[in-house]
Amino acid sequence: MSGEGFEVAVVGAGPAGSAAAITLARQGVQVLLVERGSFPGSKNVFGGRIYTYALKRLLGDAWKDAPVERFIRKEGITFMSNDSAFTLEYEVKDPEQSFSAVRAKFDKWLAEQAEKAGAQVITDSLVDDLIVENGQVKGIIAGEDKIPTDAVIACDGTTTGLARKAGLVKMLEPQQISIGMKDVIEISPGTIEERFGVDQGEGAAHVFAGSCTDGLRGGGFLYTNKDSIALGLVVGGDDVSIQAKPSHSLLDRLRAHPKVQRLIKGGKNREYNAHMIPEAGPRMLTRPFTGGMLVAGDAAGHLLNNGYTFRGVDMAMIAGMAAATTILDAKKTKDYSAGNLQSYETRLRKDPALKDMYTFSKVPSYLRNRRLYGVYPEIVCSAAEAVYRVDGTGKKKIYKEMRAQTKGKVSTLTLVRDLLAGARTF
Amino acid sequence: MSQEGKLTLDKRLALVSFTKDPRPFITVETELCKECEKKPCLYICPAGVYTWQDQLNYNTEGCLETGACLVVCHKIGAKAIHWKYPAGGKGVSFRQG
Repeated sequence: MSGEGFEVAVVGAGPAGSAAAITLARQGVQVLLVERGSFPGSKNVFGGRIYTYALKRLLGDAWKDAPVERFIRKEGITFMSNDSAFTLEYEVKDPEQSFSAVRAKFDKWLAEQAEKAGAQVITDSLVDDLIVENGQVKGIIAGEDKIPTDAVIACDGTTTGLARKAGLVKMLEPQQISIGMKDVIEISPGTIEERFGVDQGEGAAHVFAGSCTDGLRGGGFLYTNKDSIALGLVVGGDDVSIQAKPSHSLLDRLRAHPKVQRLIKGGKNREYNAHMIPEAGPRMLTRPFTGGMLVAGDAAGHLLNNGYTFRGVDMAMIAGMAAATTILDAKKTKDYSAGNLQSYETRLRKDPALKDMYTFSKVPSYLRNRRLYGVYPEIVCSAAEAVYRVDGTGKKKIYKEMRAQTKGKVSTLTLVRDLLAGARTF
Repeated sequence: MSQEGKLTLDKRLALVSFTKDPRPFITVETELCKECEKKPCLYICPAGVYTWQDQLNYNTEGCLETGACLVVCHKIGAKAIHWKYPAGGKGVSFRQG
């Protein structure tokens, strides 16, 4: 690894890192993009969906060359009990707004775009440390190699060793993380289209709440790829640890549900993978910058889970672009001090896409309400059962039935409070 | 229909591609674990790296590198786990992430 002539080192060739590298390289900045995996994407795992707007903003029309699996036509949510399921489904007007993807293909392709723009991409290299002089980051250290640069952009993922080394993050708390895991199950394209009722090239995204997490904070998800289904589950780090339930046993619960069984029937397992999610959001860092360094992507909590949409890759790309723009500004005066880089945070807060993270900043604490995962999905299912069951024993009117179903499970006051809090939060 | 449901962790991990890092990137002070009440690592790890039989045992060969064990060990557990990434190019390599 030659240490000469790089103005900026970007650590981590995920969506944030590659977006930053593309933005810098296009302006003629000498960029080194360092990836610890054997290829970009090989260490990266997500549920399955990318919102297109961010890619359009980064690449313009060239986004169309992205390795899209399927454009998402159907959005679904299922509340499940052990043996029943209540599903809501929406068919979006414009499926091009988001697509399912596989990170080993998508991240690799995006890093290739960075390379085309002029960035130097190096794989198989773990950045162990930072060069720090007088409290200012002045480059990176990878094994024996010391690479001095004017600035560093740390896009090194949830565990972000670099932000920690720079003193920007304390150890995360278990309630600030979730653990996600998924099975990728091979199913023929025709079968997927038939089972999910979508046209060729289109797909479905689905979330599951209720019995699959056995009352713990979290939920299941399903995305259709070209010829596979990504079926996974996310569970809160504190809940799973304290309740002493092996995280992967919950994925088994999801898989074993009759509704899910019908969707994945006949499928062959291709891979199992997992990822830690920094649910705390941008609050996981005291600030996303220090002298000579900016932090973007998962490493800075640039994601949003509001319970019904899960965003990470789009926000990572936008944050990577914002980091690069901040560096380009700083380059004019060659001043990479913390004082001069703090405009990064303003950029993040003002960006129309990223400000959603701040708008929904109270969501993580709302989502810690266990009733959302236990009693409420159960009530939805039992109420639906009562509404649709006809067995000749006589039926109540719907409102009366709903009241009867909540009785003894949750007080009216609690229910109203949760609803009002929900209205304020979302 | 129960066929599709049966998938053990061993079978799952057999589908994942690994390049072994000869250097131990996870080390655990297992003496400390004997005093650990909650043992959160046993539950959080989606790869079942940590098991308990009279003492804490760990096998990093199936490690999916989430880093979650470190968080729970230091906040709920006995601060026994030392964790860093495998060397560049080593460890897990996902094809379907």
